[in-house]
Amino acid sequence: MFGYWDALYFIYVFIIGLIISYILMKWGEKVSMGTRRVGAGTKVYLSGEDEDEIIPQFEHIQGYFTGRHVMWGLIRGINRMFIAFRREHTGLLTDYVAYLLVTVAIILGVLIIWG
Amino acid sequence: MIPFQFVTAFLLIFMGIYAFLYKRNLIKLILALNIIDCGIHLLLISLGYRLENGVLPTAPIYTGYETLKGTPMVGPIPQALVLTSIVIGVCVLALAMALTINAYRHYGSLDINKLRRLRG
Amino acid sequence: MNALPFLIIVPLFGAFSMPLIKLISEKVRDIWAVIISAVTLGVAADVFYTIWKTNKIIVYTLGDTTPLGKGVGFPIRIVWEVDLLGALIAVTIAFVSLLAIIYSLEYMRHDTGLDKYYTLILILELGMLGIVITGDIFNFYVFLEIMSIASYALVAFRNDTWEGIEAGIKYMFVGSLASSFILLGIALLYGQYGTLTMAYLSQYITREPTFVSKVALAFILGGLLFKSGAVPVHMWLADAHPAAPSSISAMLSGLVIKAGGVYAIARILFSIYSISLNIRTLGWIIIFFACLTLIVGNAMAVIQTDMKRLFAFSSVGQIGYILLGIGIGLAAYGTDIGQIALAGAIYHTVNHAIMKALLFLVAGAVLHEVGTKNLNELSGLARRMPLTSFAFLVGAAAIIGMPPLNGFASKWLLYESSALYNPFLAAVAVVGTAFCTAAYIRVLFTFFGKESEKVKAAKDPGKAMIIPMIILILAIIIMGLLPWQINESIMIPTAKMLEESGKYVLAVLGG
Repeated sequence: MFGYWDALYFIYVFIIGLIISYILMKWGEKVSMGTRRVGAGTKVYLSGEDEDEIIPQFEHIQGYFTGRHVMWGLIRGINRMFIAFRREHTGLLTDYVAYLLVTVAIILGVLIIWG
Repeated sequence: MIPFQFVTAFLLIFMGIYAFLYKRNLIKLILALNIIDCGIHLLLISLGYRLENGVLPTAPIYTGYETLKGTPMVGPIPQALVLTSIVIGVCVLALAMALTINAYRHYGSLDINKLRRLRG
Repeated sequence: MNALPFLIIVPLFGAFSMPLIKLISEKVRDIWAVIISAVTLGVAADVFYTIWKTNKIIVYTLGDTTPLGKGVGFPIRIVWEVDLLGALIAVTIAFVSLLAIIYSLEYMRHDTGLDKYYTLILILELGMLGIVITGDIFNFYVFLEIMSIASYALVAFRNDTWEGIEAGIKYMFVGSLASSFILLGIALLYGQYGTLTMAYLSQYITREPTFVSKVALAFILGGLLFKSGAVPVHMWLADAHPAAPSSISAMLSGLVIKAGGVYAIARILFSIYSISLNIRTLGWIIIFFACLTLIVGNAMAVIQTDMKRLFAFSSVGQIGYILLGIGIGLAAYGTDIGQIALAGAIYHTVNHAIMKALLFLVAGAVLHEVGTKNLNELSGLARRMPLTSFAFLVGAAAIIGMPPLNGFASKWLLYESSALYNPFLAAVAVVGTAFCTAAYIRVLFTFFGKESEKVKAAKDPGKAMIIPMIILILAIIIMGLLPWQINESIMIPTAKMLEESGKYVLAVLGG
């Protein structure tokens, strides 16, 4: 009924994944044009722009790369929800008490009606 | 018969909650905390006085227990509970006072609405 | 001999002998704190092993064992009653507390008033252990208050910073109000039924579930949801846990919200109320708050810039998973789905205690070495603090639920049971995990990003801070490699024992 998970499965999947990625790498090397071996192609590339290269007339991100820039799309996409949540967390003791009372009231109401 | 002790107890509790919602001074909030505790203590202690066979029980300390041996005695457990609860309440009170003094040192105010740098 | 009372005696003795021991020397005081917590762990392990081996509930009475010949209908006494769930949480509490105390040997070295600190930390441990072993509802309140007062004081321990004081005040005032609500509920129950022992209460409430018992349950449940940090009342958690010293944050996030909140909710709903009220309603109340908690807690974690605050919000989110498991366990009471959900919730409680303790210890190490917890200034730590970063990687992967680690097993049980019970709940749980992943990936990128000026001088912390982290990493990996075995041999029997409230009642009546 309930599927269990065994650590061995993970190791099998991991080995299979390694083999597949090795085959892909070999295939890529065979069909490549050689741009990955020389020049700018050898550098590790994560995402975004190259930090060392300076292109004239291009606005580079100032400073160092931090977690602030990751998940930018997610945060921007549902920005309205986050603003609503932040606004509710007012930091006022009165609101904390009010929420406690609301919680008790909800539970009380539900228990009286359907309990 | 209106159970005045219960009415008073809940009145005290609601007074405390009202103060929590509408008062801003930290000292008043400490008092509110204590008033709520007092209300609950009153509720607990009055639970000891329940009718047994139509007779209201007597408190053993004041009413010459030796002479009234036939009448039932007040339940002892609520008194023990209230005693424990008072001790806990005093601990909370002392800690709250200490924190209030520290808050005044850092913020220069006892207004709870000024203590809101942690938010968001 | 019954080892149960020593679970309270040892930390109590250790806590209040601390000022005396300090007179000898400060070094002896540190060793004494470690010894006391190690002995407590030994006692807890012994209690757990006894219960697990015999599969019987241990009952220990303070006072009369029998009502015969005393002129009253029932014995006047306080009952301590430990089943497998209580013992399991007790072992977790003792384990994490030991590691937190070892960690604070180095982490807190520069602070003053350390004898008070160790006294308070042992009292905190004692309060939590008391909550999980007690079978008397007023005794439960007393231990809850011991735990709460110790944690208020520890949150505000560094009273030279505004953050600790403000968080302490907010936590303390609203927490005391929640405790008062719990006491009000207990008083109402006593007034209605005239007893405080949980087993008797369960019996009487089953016989006549009155209106007053429902009101009492609402007050107690509201207070306990506050203590566990469920969503409409989670705000104190996000303020208080980051403000405490990191070793304390590890205990608060890993243990206090479990012992004082989730465990108590499970105990009261399953052992006292389960058969008397409409159990589906109870379950759906918990599920409602669990869904709110899952979404809001994990989503708020994404946008934080303070590392410890991010971890605290993630704690709120993880509490949602545990509440979801308990809620489904109640709503699908008596079926296989309910049992698996409950086992998953218990498993996740233990797992989350270990994972979140590790993460807060990592945050403490960073704070100790770099001096800031702002994520915008912490870029590129991995090259300077490789061990700490590795610990974070393991902790984050476990809390997201990556397969070879322990978080996966418990989360998988929860997803599967919730999908079988109601697919909507599973969808909510998965959305929560997506937010959780986003939040941790932000921290991960910060750790492995380009080096900033702030972290140039940082290095891995000393032995006393590294060793607890390594032990926790080992615990995560070992628990991750044997999920099936642990689930079969510990979590399922625990869930079964919690569900059988009749046995819980009979254990007291028979003794």
